Amino acid sequence: MSPAGASLFDSGGRPLVEGFARVVAADTATAWLEPEQTSSCGGCASAAACGVKSGQGNRRLEARRFALANDCQLRVGERVVIGISEYALIRASATAYAIPLLCMMGAAVAAQLLTGRDGWAMAAAVAGLTAGLLIARLRAGRLQARGDLTPRYLRHARSGEECNDRGED
Amino acid sequence: MQELILLVVGTALVNNVVLARFLGLCSFMGVTTKIDTAVGLGMATTFVMTVSSMIAWGVETFLLVPHDLAYLRTVTFILVIAAVVQFTESVVRKVSPSLFRTLGIYLPLITTNCAVLGIPLLNVHDKFNFIQSMLNGFGAALGFSMILAIFAGLRERLALAAVPRLFMGPPIGFITASLLALAFMGFSGIHTN
Repeated sequence: MSPAGASLFDSGGRPLVEGFARVVAADTATAWLEPEQTSSCGGCASAAACGVKSGQGNRRLEARRFALANDCQLRVGERVVIGISEYALIRASATAYAIPLLCMMGAAVAAQLLTGRDGWAMAAAVAGLTAGLLIARLRAGRLQARGDLTPRYLRHARSGEECNDRGED
Repeated sequence: MQELILLVVGTALVNNVVLARFLGLCSFMGVTTKIDTAVGLGMATTFVMTVSSMIAWGVETFLLVPHDLAYLRTVTFILVIAAVVQFTESVVRKVSPSLFRTLGIYLPLITTNCAVLGIPLLNVHDKFNFIQSMLNGFGAALGFSMILAIFAGLRERLALAAVPRLFMGPPIGFITASLLALAFMGFSGIHTN
């Protein structure tokens, strides 16, 4: 873990993507954090009415709880900015979504071209998706083993700072 | 095969879901402040949109049409999409909890918007078969992701530009989007009488 005010670049010189999290438990060695969930529309003034944000219950956030080494003596309730290499984020997205999708589509298109029947294409899509998920699982294990999926503590969040403040024009 | 490739390219570029059909504008404006999150969200939306198109085709073909329930199409498709989003989240969590946590910090995992509903409805309207529905969903999502990435790059530059105070934020974003839409109109060709 990096000290407060850590570099905004990873060890390979690539920029870090920032996210916000709140400390929910901490001891001398480890801090447990929950990410502040964003919505796919980025949130807006009418978020309370549209219901996108209300779907994020406590159970969902608990499932996303993660641990960091508590070198900076984080305390419960503090908001912090955490970072991950943008390269790692794109690789993680590709592993979770692109690999299963491409396997599924490849299998479905191949079955359709070979048989010309929708039933076979659907069965092949399911088989391709299953194979893609297995490949994704193996690849995610490798990313995890290399430490690519571990976020870094960057700094404490400023009062009122939100994800949409960053880079906003 | 050529027909399938043309379907994907046409849906992604000519009938772009954001710039030609004006769907998914909330995500388009909301998450395009950073190019990395735009690319990540684009991948998530591509997965959800493609799978939703496939399952919605199955529901339409094997449930709604045989039982004469076409009037329930919109509600049923909303349920299908909600189920696909939940399924995606659960599967990512099962496949790799660490991947799920990492993506959960930086990307909105609930990736649904009006474009995700619009494409399955357009598939029904155009009477596509299974593979055409899947590729139409994929092409639309590809176009959506491409526009998210392009627009995020433009907004990162706009953040450094001297924009008049009245136009800062969404106004200059929409003006830029309209210019981008004009550029994409070029893909549909110029009609002369």
